[in-house]
Amino acid sequence: MAKKDVTKPISLDPRGGRPREKCVTHIEGIDRILNGGIPVGNIVLLAGTVGSGKTTLAMEFLINGAKNGETCCYISVTEPSSKMLSNLQTYGFFDDSLVKEGKLNIFDLTVINDRLGVERLDGTYTAKDMEALLGAFEDIVDELGVTRLVVDSITAVCYQLPDRGSIRNFIFRLSQFLSTFGCTTMLISETVVDSNVQTYSIFGVEEAVADGVVLMGNIVRQGDLLRSLQVVKMRGAKHSRARHLIELTPVGLAVVPLLKWGQDGGQAFT
Amino acid sequence: MSIADVAKSVIKSINDGDALATVSLPAANFHEGTVKLATVLLGKKLGGIYITTSRPSAHIVNELEAAKANMSDIYFVDLVSMTVGGSIDDARTLYIESPTMLESILLNIALLERRLKSKRRFVLFDSINGLNIYSEPKVLREFINVLGNSMRIKEIYSMLMTVKEQTGDELAAALELLSDTMVGD
Repeated sequence: MAKKDVTKPISLDPRGGRPREKCVTHIEGIDRILNGGIPVGNIVLLAGTVGSGKTTLAMEFLINGAKNGETCCYISVTEPSSKMLSNLQTYGFFDDSLVKEGKLNIFDLTVINDRLGVERLDGTYTAKDMEALLGAFEDIVDELGVTRLVVDSITAVCYQLPDRGSIRNFIFRLSQFLSTFGCTTMLISETVVDSNVQTYSIFGVEEAVADGVVLMGNIVRQGDLLRSLQVVKMRGAKHSRARHLIELTPVGLAVVPLLKWGQDGGQAFT
Repeated sequence: MSIADVAKSVIKSINDGDALATVSLPAANFHEGTVKLATVLLGKKLGGIYITTSRPSAHIVNELEAAKANMSDIYFVDLVSMTVGGSIDDARTLYIESPTMLESILLNIALLERRLKSKRRFVLFDSINGLNIYSEPKVLREFINVLGNSMRIKEIYSMLMTVKEQTGDELAAALELLSDTMVGD
């Protein structure tokens, strides 16, 4: 009788099947949580309250990609790119040459809007404006060969769309072509906490369209603020759903599981 | 048990391949004994991370220097200085804002561990009782469990220093369950 092969590891993924190609974030703890990274082409909603570390995480995602030879792009909606660039200098993991070599590209949405002539006095996009903006995003990704994109923030873009249907349509269309180009994207969503419950977005639409949702927040423990991160969903990946603590260190983000008992009593979202 | 005997027991435990020891010292010579233990280990060409929860790291550095300890491969995680407004500019030290941020200890150990040059490494936690002041027993028990197992995986020899008179039965039982060896009185 043939010997049974006992050396083959047991698969712990109940779904079986072949794993999707991953976009490795090179943020050690994040890749561990995501079981190797974000599936390539996924649109991830990075939702969080103020000061929770969304922009830092997104920037490190781009910088790490650029350092590994990818072309990465950051679209700044809420602040001028010059200000963003000067903030970047404060990160120990940032390297000026990435911008000079065109590996890290930073765009201002207001400049894009000006060039497209879509800036409206009432601040609301028309259907035609929306098409023009989607076209501009597509051109940037296609012409530069962008494989990692961050829009900071999608909330600010959504404020300029007339209704929830338009928001859904805009994000759906955006995700369709980004996925086609194999561009892994983080859409930053500014959230609020209401009655100790943190939402994923202001409009309640973005999370339904996105392939992934990563929730970031501040937790109060005996009066001290701690940054937390939790992957709520990630299509195409078996991932941890545990809540983690993150810290901004000189060498980038560091992630560690949050103590379970430490989540009770004297600790709440803020 | 004399401090010299404590140090001998710890070295034997390291040579036996243990990963985690609880070292209990009486309050009367706790600080002296802890510094002496670190000095002995540094003299045996071990690199170390010294976590201080009860006194600012600057004091420990002074005491180690006075004891002529080999300071070439030692780093500190300091949970005290920022809380009390002490000096926070030592290049060998990572400072944690608040002793309630227990997870930060694990993160900072991970950061410092990369800097250690020595093949054989230790983490000295001075002291578990210092954390007891700020954290509930169940949180502290969980933390000790996570810390112990993290160090075990990293193959860093860890010593959890405890003040004999301040360690209640429940905490002592948790430490005994987790540790490979109990050293001291």
